[in-house]
Amino acid sequence: MTALIQIITGCLGSAGFALLYNIRGKRFVFAALGGLLAILFYILFGLIIENEILNYFICAALVSLYAEIMARVLKTPTTTFIITSLIPLIPGGSLYYTMTGAFSGNLESFIEYGLYTLGLAGALAAGIIVVVSTVKIILGKR
Amino acid sequence: MEKSLEIIMDIGEQMLLSGAEISRIEESVLRLGEALGAKRTDAFIITSNMEVSLHDEKGVNYTQTRRVSNIGTDIEKLHRLNALIRKICYGNITHEEIEAQLEKIKTSKAYPFGVILLAYGLISGAFTLFFGGGIVEAVCSVIIGFVLAFIVKGTELGALNKIFAKFFCSFASALLAFVCLKFGIVSTVDHIIIGNIMLIIPGVGLTVAIRDLFVGDNLSGALRSIEVVLFAFAIAGGYFLAAGIMGGGAI
Repeated sequence: MTALIQIITGCLGSAGFALLYNIRGKRFVFAALGGLLAILFYILFGLIIENEILNYFICAALVSLYAEIMARVLKTPTTTFIITSLIPLIPGGSLYYTMTGAFSGNLESFIEYGLYTLGLAGALAAGIIVVVSTVKIILGKR
Repeated sequence: MEKSLEIIMDIGEQMLLSGAEISRIEESVLRLGEALGAKRTDAFIITSNMEVSLHDEKGVNYTQTRRVSNIGTDIEKLHRLNALIRKICYGNITHEEIEAQLEKIKTSKAYPFGVILLAYGLISGAFTLFFGGGIVEAVCSVIIGFVLAFIVKGTELGALNKIFAKFFCSFASALLAFVCLKFGIVSTVDHIIIGNIMLIIPGVGLTVAIRDLFVGDNLSGALRSIEVVLFAFAIAGGYFLAAGIMGGGAI
C-alpha cells in the first residue's frame, strides 16, 4: 500500500514540478512518467539491494538514461526530463531530519542524517554524471 | 555580421535565462556562428555574463558582452529556442524571420498563476503523503502550499534577494505548520514541513550545477553549487527561526 501511494504521489509531484517549469504537451506526460519510473525503480531495486545509497545511484543512472533517450526521441533538451524525473528521489525527508537534529541540539541524529543526506545527494549526482559522460563519449563531442 | 551577432546574443541570453546548462549554450552559439557565416566564433559564458566574438572573412572582429541576471527555469522557452537553432543551422531562414520568431519566443507565456497555484498545492500535498503523512496532514500541506505560491509570487514581484526569499519561504511554511500543530489539527509537523520543503529545495539548481561541473564548465558549476549551499542554509535558518518562535514543538 505504501509503495502504491509513493508511486502515485511521486508521479504527481513530478507532474507538479513540470507545471512550474512550464513543460507542455507530450513532454509534460513523459516528464511526469519519469517521476513514476524513478520511484518504481527505487522500490523494485530496494527489494534486492540493501544499501540505500547504491540503490539511489542505480536509480539516478537509469532515470538519466531515460531522460537522454526521451530527449532524443522528442527532440528537446535533456534538462526537461532530468530535472522533473529525479524529483521524487531528492532526499527532502532526511534533509528535514538533519535540520531538526541541528535545531534540537541532538548531535548524533544531526550527524547521522547529515551524512546520510550528503550520501544520497552524492549518489544522485554520481548517477547523473555516469550517464551524461557516457552519452557524451558515445556520441562524440560535436 | 553585426546583425548576426545581435541574434546570437539574443538567443544565448534567452537560453541562459530559461535555465539551460552552459555547455549547451556555448555549443549552440558556436553552431549559430558557423551557420550565420562567421569564420571563427569564440564564446565565453558563465551564469551571469556572456561574451561572444565573431570574425568575418576579412578578419574583422565583432564582440558583444551581456550581463545576465534573474535566471529562471522555463523549459517550454528552451524547447522552442532549441527548435529555432536547429532551423537556423539547416539554413534557409532570413534574419527577419529569425527575429520575428525570436520575438515570439521572448514574449511566450508561462502557465497562468491559477495553474502555478494548483501545482504548488499538488506538490506539497503529494510529498506529504509520499514521506508518510496522513490525509489531514496532506490537506494542511496543500493549504500551506497555496500560501507559499503567493509568497513566492510576492518575493518575485518585490525583486527580493533570492537567498532571503528562500529564508522567508522556509520560515513562513514552517511557522504555518507549527500553527496547525498548536491548534491540535495534526500531531506532528514533520510531514507537512517535508512536503513544503520539497517546493523550496533547490533541486534543479543542484542537478544543473552537477551537470555543469562534469562537462567541464567548472566556473559556472562552482557558482551554481555555492548558490545551492547558501539556499540550503537559508532554508535551515528559516526553519530554525520558526521552530524557535513556536517553542520547537516538533521534537
